[in-house]
Amino acid sequence: MKINTVIGNLDNYKKYLRIERATHEFMQKKGYLKIELPVMSPAIIPESYIEIFKTEFKYQNKTEKLYLTSSPELFLKRLLVDGIGNCYYLGKAFRNNEQNSSWHLPEFTMLEFYKPGVNYLELAEDVLELLQAISRIINKNLKINYKNRDMSFEKWEKMSMAQAFERYAKINESELFDQEKFRQKAKTKGYITDNFTYEDLFSQILTQEVEPKLGINGYPTLIYNFPKELASLAKMNKNSKTVERCEFYINGLEIGGFCTELNDYKEQEKRFKSELVKRQKAQMIHHAVDNGFIEALKYGLPKCTGAGIGFERLAMIFANLDSIDQLQLINIK
Amino acid sequence: MRTNAGNLKKGEFVLYQNEVWQVQKADFYSPGKGSALMKTRIKNILSGKNIEYTYKSSEQVEVLEVTSIEMQYLYKDNENLYFMDERSYNQYSLPLSIVGEVANFMKEGNKYFVYVRDDKPLTMRPPSSVHLKVLETEDAAKGDTVSGAKKPAKVETGVTVMVPLFVKVGDVITVNPETGEYGERVKE
Repeated sequence: MKINTVIGNLDNYKKYLRIERATHEFMQKKGYLKIELPVMSPAIIPESYIEIFKTEFKYQNKTEKLYLTSSPELFLKRLLVDGIGNCYYLGKAFRNNEQNSSWHLPEFTMLEFYKPGVNYLELAEDVLELLQAISRIINKNLKINYKNRDMSFEKWEKMSMAQAFERYAKINESELFDQEKFRQKAKTKGYITDNFTYEDLFSQILTQEVEPKLGINGYPTLIYNFPKELASLAKMNKNSKTVERCEFYINGLEIGGFCTELNDYKEQEKRFKSELVKRQKAQMIHHAVDNGFIEALKYGLPKCTGAGIGFERLAMIFANLDSIDQLQLINIK
Repeated sequence: MRTNAGNLKKGEFVLYQNEVWQVQKADFYSPGKGSALMKTRIKNILSGKNIEYTYKSSEQVEVLEVTSIEMQYLYKDNENLYFMDERSYNQYSLPLSIVGEVANFMKEGNKYFVYVRDDKPLTMRPPSSVHLKVLETEDAAKGDTVSGAKKPAKVETGVTVMVPLFVKVGDVITVNPETGEYGERVKE
């Protein structure tokens, strides 16, 4: 990798700063408290699809392992347990084993926020208002033109994951929510299925067939109710097939997601264990597990919804750019 | 040679559905649900058709061993373009249907890169721009200074390119052979 100075991006960077300022103003006006957080932690939440960065604290002849956080979740949820209420973090997050690309930087900026007392679909309103607030500052109204496509932030185009798969991938609900049927369907579509999990195939078909159709019909698209296999830390729906998780898309690109947070510590503990097994199987970097997080949940996480937004991606849309590194004055590639 | 799709790079040739495609764009994408992916745009070298295809980044892909050889472009007929490898004096032909519009901007005797696999030419690498002399164009009327105004100009390969009004007969201009667009006037 090399250090590159890209002074030609100065105008884009200034736009990024305006978007950042608009975001801080909106969040604070809506009653979210800005939280500054460490990016190094002695223990973290195990996640099977996110690789981590590891470092070391050294004092004289003692050393202690530290990990760069892939999201501020472990800190913010502790504070929620302590009753902090509406809160947000806008700062660095780190993901290893992710190559630089138009949409990825191993070191990126994340906007994460939590609101107690609401579910995922209720929080969608705040997310939409955030998009509107940024649009008003950058474009003076709710309309943008991204890559020659007109779009308005007036409302969401909403559809469930099952509707989206039915409409764009011709996979019906019973096939989508049945691992074996889904695998067969993927196979007949010509995807390589051997040695790949349901999650792998879901992700591939979503990206190949569904995502390009999202956020292109004049409004950002909100996709809700993910299959339970993609639960992450989301709460299960009553049908026990899907979880209360959403993602939103602009021009075929996922910008962010949010879910009603799991507050059942036993279920959380179970998911920790299964994620750890997956990490070991995939020979991912070994790390200390944040058991204090489970302890905090035992104390009681209030009913809440949390959102995570790739902030450079969001800014890239408002700045009408193709790639997130066009927002940077210094980049490392 | 089989490789993980996560290692694919622009310019490489891959086998997909038993046909040869060239990678036009390869972008890493990790949705954080299921395996990481490689979003690619690939171009079928026979039909010229572009498609977007998303690989799982750990999926095995057949990458073809292809060399690019600088060759002299000799001439074309109704079906093919003919090239010569100046080191071996071997001649190769490529169908016009594969080379496409680029052929309209190629000058006989010039050198171009041809992709060869197992001694068979697959396609050529279009240069980013070509220098062409203007043979015919009308002089712009005085006072006609609308900015961005264009006029047709016939260049030495026989095709017409839209050029700015200040371009005159005998000027050498650059043209993007893939789009047919004028680039700039060059001093020669």
